[in-house]
Amino acid sequence: MMRGLRGFIQIIDEIGKALLFLSEIIKTLLFRPCRKSLVFEQIWHVTVESFATTAMAGFFVGAIMAVQFTVQMKEFGALGYLGGLATSGTFREVGPLLIAFMLSGKIGAFTSAELGTMRVTEQIDAIRCLGADPMQEIILPRFLGIIVSSFFLLFLGLLMSVFGGMFLGYSLAGVNPEEYVRHIPTIITAPSIATGLVKCFTFAVVLATICTQKGFYAVGGAKGVGKAVVSTAVTTMIAIVVMDWLTSFLGEVFLQMAIGS
Amino acid sequence: MATKSPNRIIRWKETLEQLHFIANGSLSIIVFCVCFAAIVTIIESSFHMKIVIQNDSMVPGFAAMLILRELAVVVTALLLTSRVGAGIAAEVGTMKVTEQIDALKMLGIPPSTYLVIPRLIACIFGTMMLVVVANMACLLSAMVVSNSYLGYPPAIFLTAMRRFVQFQDLILAVVKAAVFGAVIPLISCYFGFRCEAGAEGVGRATTNSVVVGSIAVIVLDFVLSYAFSYLY
Repeated sequence: MMRGLRGFIQIIDEIGKALLFLSEIIKTLLFRPCRKSLVFEQIWHVTVESFATTAMAGFFVGAIMAVQFTVQMKEFGALGYLGGLATSGTFREVGPLLIAFMLSGKIGAFTSAELGTMRVTEQIDAIRCLGADPMQEIILPRFLGIIVSSFFLLFLGLLMSVFGGMFLGYSLAGVNPEEYVRHIPTIITAPSIATGLVKCFTFAVVLATICTQKGFYAVGGAKGVGKAVVSTAVTTMIAIVVMDWLTSFLGEVFLQMAIGS
Repeated sequence: MATKSPNRIIRWKETLEQLHFIANGSLSIIVFCVCFAAIVTIIESSFHMKIVIQNDSMVPGFAAMLILRELAVVVTALLLTSRVGAGIAAEVGTMKVTEQIDALKMLGIPPSTYLVIPRLIACIFGTMMLVVVANMACLLSAMVVSNSYLGYPPAIFLTAMRRFVQFQDLILAVVKAAVFGAVIPLISCYFGFRCEAGAEGVGRATTNSVVVGSIAVIVLDFVLSYAFSYLY
């Protein structure tokens, strides 16, 4: 009972820390913005670092969804719909979730390891000693860079998932690529793509906030850096799952309001 | 004690401790995440079904199938990769950096046997058990959501489930779990043993193990799904 209560308090604590850090970043962004070249440098760095990984993960996620939908569709003899259904399922739900998991491992762990190393080797204190603001010089460029590039990478992963599904549809179910593509527009509408993009953006913000915060506050040598990386990966995944639910739920509510039923 | 030589192949006490860390430590996180994933699955697949066949009476069956075959196992494995995999890599990497592994070698204890085998065995069994629990939690929360959100009571959900999934689906899910459970600690230990000196090295080893582990889980899941699709 006491353990459960302490766990609960810890969760609230974590959420509060992340939100305070986010508000600090936004304050810095509004009042003391950093140089633009720093942001572009980070965007380039992060994108190049994770380009191949994301593309590969997206391809396989699409392929997995196609395999699963093929088995289901075969029972109804509706293989023509395979392309549309698999793509829609990947775009709206599974794709952003799994690719964001992937990115939280790649970008999140990388960034928090880098920032944690800076912290434990006292480079961050050195920057402060030189009269510069570490929030402005280090955190803000990384935060903006991660948001932009992981949004782009998530979208790239979703596009690759279409190709993965197409490849599998052709080799496993014998659906021509033309036939696969033809039913995509009938099932995927603008709101579906919007849902996918909103999810991607939300995950990008969550990822950027948590990994910079965990890395910035790492303590205690090599072990501390390892611990910061582990806790980044775990926290990001939990946050992503919760945000996935929240965006789906809110999207449904807005859809109902828009239809006016 | 002669029987407790450090050179024996399996150290049961260490294995049990690792099992506690892997299974018990990750249980609440995994159940929590998997429940949310199931809720999202129900909401989204009802959206799709309404588009394609104009009603959502198939949702319980399809959702149960997706959960049992894919969702619960993959989400569990990815969570374990980041929690357990990163934990092992950080632990072994720190041991390497602080020269504890060299100390083991000096004492004549092979570090691979001493460190890897307990983690490997614990992770295989831990993942298998966790996946069964994750499947149960996932189906239960799917049932609750389809009752409150779609208006299908649990009895209808269970009847629909029986038509779409068999017991072999659970067995195949556990087989997948065993494969993922074997891959995660092997990759993490590999990167941990190759860790370079300093805080930077530990960070990089942890990152690499998470990345390679997640890719390995997704690719292996694809391979296994493809192989199992001939069994259904």
